[in-house]
Order: sequence, then C-alpha cells, then structure tokens
Amino acid sequence: MEQTHRSARIMVVDDDRDTAAILVRYLQSEGFDPIEANSGNECLRLVRKQEVDVILLDLMMPDMDGFQICKVLRENPATAEIPVILISARDDIEARAESMSLGVGDFLAKPISRRQLVASIRAQIEVVATERNTTATLSRIEGRRGNSKD
Amino acid sequence: MSLSGKAGSEVKRVDFEGRVNAVEKALIGQHPAITKLRALIEKVAPSDVTVLISGESGVGKEVVARAIHSMSQRHARPFVPVNCAAIPRDLLESEMFGHERGAFTGASGTRQGLFTAASGGTILLDEIGAMPMELQAKLLRVLEDGEVRPVGSDRWTMVDVRVIAASNTELSVSVRKGAFSEDLFYRLQVVPIVVPPLRERRSDIPVLVDHFLECIQERTPGRKVTVTREAMVQLWSYEWPGNVRELENMVERLAILCDDSTIDPRVLPPALTSKPRPAVIEIPASLPAGGVNLQSLVRELEGRLINDALKQTAGNKQAAAKLLGLKRTTFAAKLRRSGVIAPGAADDDKDD
Repeated sequence: MEQTHRSARIMVVDDDRDTAAILVRYLQSEGFDPIEANSGNECLRLVRKQEVDVILLDLMMPDMDGFQICKVLRENPATAEIPVILISARDDIEARAESMSLGVGDFLAKPISRRQLVASIRAQIEVVATERNTTATLSRIEGRRGNSKD
Repeated sequence: MSLSGKAGSEVKRVDFEGRVNAVEKALIGQHPAITKLRALIEKVAPSDVTVLISGESGVGKEVVARAIHSMSQRHARPFVPVNCAAIPRDLLESEMFGHERGAFTGASGTRQGLFTAASGGTILLDEIGAMPMELQAKLLRVLEDGEVRPVGSDRWTMVDVRVIAASNTELSVSVRKGAFSEDLFYRLQVVPIVVPPLRERRSDIPVLVDHFLECIQERTPGRKVTVTREAMVQLWSYEWPGNVRELENMVERLAILCDDSTIDPRVLPPALTSKPRPAVIEIPASLPAGGVNLQSLVRELEGRLINDALKQTAGNKQAAAKLLGLKRTTFAAKLRRSGVIAPGAADDDKDD
C-alpha cells in the first residue's frame, strides 16, 4: 500500500499562491510529488503536458471555477478519468450537490485537516491502482486463453 | 460435462446471457473500477480457476462470489458459503471435510463436510485468514489433488468443487508475518479480485441508493420512496466505514422511517448530518483499562477544537484564538502543528 502513493503526482490548483504553497509543502512532507497551477487555464495546460494522478481543485477562482475546470477535464478522454478532489471555502448543499453530479472523487470544505486531505488523496490513488490491477489481471487471463487455444 | 451439438450450444448461449444480466444486477456502479471488475468476473466465471476476493468488510465480497458461481457451468449446483472466522477452530476441519463416527468426543455419527455438500458447485471460504495453519495445509492438498479426508478417516475421496476464497485483511501481510501459508496464498492468488471500499468510489453512492430504493419498490408494489437532493448529498458526503452493506441497511431503515415516502435530511441519523468526518481517534471520557496514548489524544482534541473555532469564526484567526482563550501567536503555532489548513491561509506565512 505504501508504494502506491510513494511518488504519486498531485496537482494543486489554487489561485491563492500562499494556500497553494502550503498545500505543496504538506504534500511533499507526506511523500507525494506535488505540482502547482494558479489558474484554471494553467491547470488545463499542465495536465496535457504531464501525467497527473490526482487533481486538488479549489472551487473559487477568477478565470474558471472548479466546476468549469472539472467539466473541461471530463470532456477530454485523456483527462476524463483523473480523480478530482474539490476544495472549497464554502460548504453549502449547492456546492456539494454540483460536485456530486459532476462525479468528483471527494469534496473537502476548509478548514481541512492534514489527515483528512491525505486520506482523501490516498483513497483516490488506491481506487485507480485497484482498477489498473483488475485490468492487468483481465488481460493476463485473456492472454493465457489466447495462447492455450493455439 | 461438455455440451455437444447445435442445440447444446444454443442453450448455453442463452443461459450465459441470462447470467451476465445477473452480475449486472448484483454489482452496481459506474465507477471505472467497478465496470472493470464486472468485466473480470464475466471472464473468470466460466472457468474453474481459484479466485481470491479481497476487500473491506461490507464491500460485497460474497456478492462477487455468488455472481461468479451463477455465471459458471456450476450454477445449478450448490453455492456454499463458509465463514472461517465464525466456526470454532477445532470444529472447522470437521465442518469442512466431515468426520467419521467416534473421530472425536461428541462425534456420535458420520457427518459429511461442506466440501461434499458443495459437490459439483462452489464453496466460498470467507475470512480465510482466520483458518488455522494445519488446516491450511489440508486445504492446499484439496486444491492440488481434488481430494478430501474426513476427520478420523484414512481414506481420501475425490471432490469436484470450485474454491473461492475471500479475505478482509491483506493476506500478503499475514504471509510475511508467518501467519498464513505462502504456498496456499500463491495457489489462491491465481486470480486476485479486489473490491474497492465505497468511499473510494463515492460517485456510485447515488446510483446505489436509487438501486436499493427500486428493490424496496419491487418488494412492496405501490410504494415509491424518493430521496431529496439535500439528503442525497448527505449520503454522498458520508465516509461509509461499513461500505455498501451499511448503505443498503441505511436506505432500508430510512425508507421505513420517512414520512410521505420522501427521505429528507430530517430523518438522517446525526452521524450523517454532522459536517466533520467521523474522527479516527476516539477520546474516552475516562481512562480505559488498556491505557491511552495521552499525547496523541491531546493533539487530537486540540486539532478538533481549533477546527471548530475556525469554523465558528469563518476562518478569522483572531476571533478563533479568542474563543479558545489563546494569544494569537500561540494559536498560530498550534494551528501550524495541528495540520489544519485554514481558509485564506495567506497570513500563515507572516507567522513563519
């Protein structure tokens, strides 16, 4: 289990550079490999350039809000399945309901505890690892079948 | 065993489709991890290969095992689930393999074991990690040679049973600790199936809730229960430590409790409506017999109160410090140590 989050790349998207810096420091100290984006556009540009395991998305940002970014990520098959965790200073039913209908991995309301943040990230990394292992087992079985037929 | 001729294969095909439908009904969800899992189950079911299902308690390991059985050639034969942790250690062997008369005190007659009862079908050995070492060796022989020997007997008998094992602990860890046989582990691990906990696939919660409500409606025609958006959001936000089973029980309970066939937040239990996630560390009211780790408890309490203070003051640290009777600088230091990330954290850096 430790291996799965050892060097997972986490993208922190927050227009508040101080908050982003704090999150980046936290994530580094927990053994993750964080990268930072300070706007929706930067997030979408960076995510095309490098592989990202989980995106931490601040809900309220000036250029695009977290929901809009999430929708754009979902529309592109290359980024559609990257787990998104929404982070919000406002914790109302509407924000949660919108997050739910967008199918985000989790919704965290500030203030967030370090433990809660790490647990939420790990959950998303775990489930992707589970999915990949299932796919690997599936292709192993199909490969074996294919070989035994001939 | 083998089906020959056109009629045979026709029957087989129709039958198979019916059973695919069964797994779609059994394993609900649209999360990629679940759709892949369904694909794996469909692929693995028709063969007789040994399967090891792991996942937390309540994720639906038995549902997966039943789906595999119902989609296999063995579907018309028995499916026998055995909980290895629920049967006393000294009785487990005779439960599994049967016993001869007088094999041990109290064995007044001959009894057939669960492997024999499952003949032609599937046996599910749940919580296999609880199986005693010496029995693990005997199980390995069953898997390798297809033979069982009842307690007190000197004859080995052939059995035709597909074995599915399940565990809610990581068996590889038990192997490393020497508590589980490595040979048996590798023999079971031929096809590993991992069922993720519900909190890792939160997006499936609304789908599951709707499914459980449909099941209720099927059982009691004419009664249609709906969930308000607000209540659904609360269900979606909860951690579900008891996984799908806990969610299913909750939906059943809420459907009974609610007025006007509408589940709204008022009928939700407090655990689901309170905003902070359930704490991992419990703070006891008095010193338990086993003792405590005082430092971690104090840290936990401090963290929670800091969290509450920030919430009550909408993130105003000056006011939060006042609520806790602390100087602003002391509060800031505690806040940094507690690992709570406050909204508008900009002024944290001023304190650095």
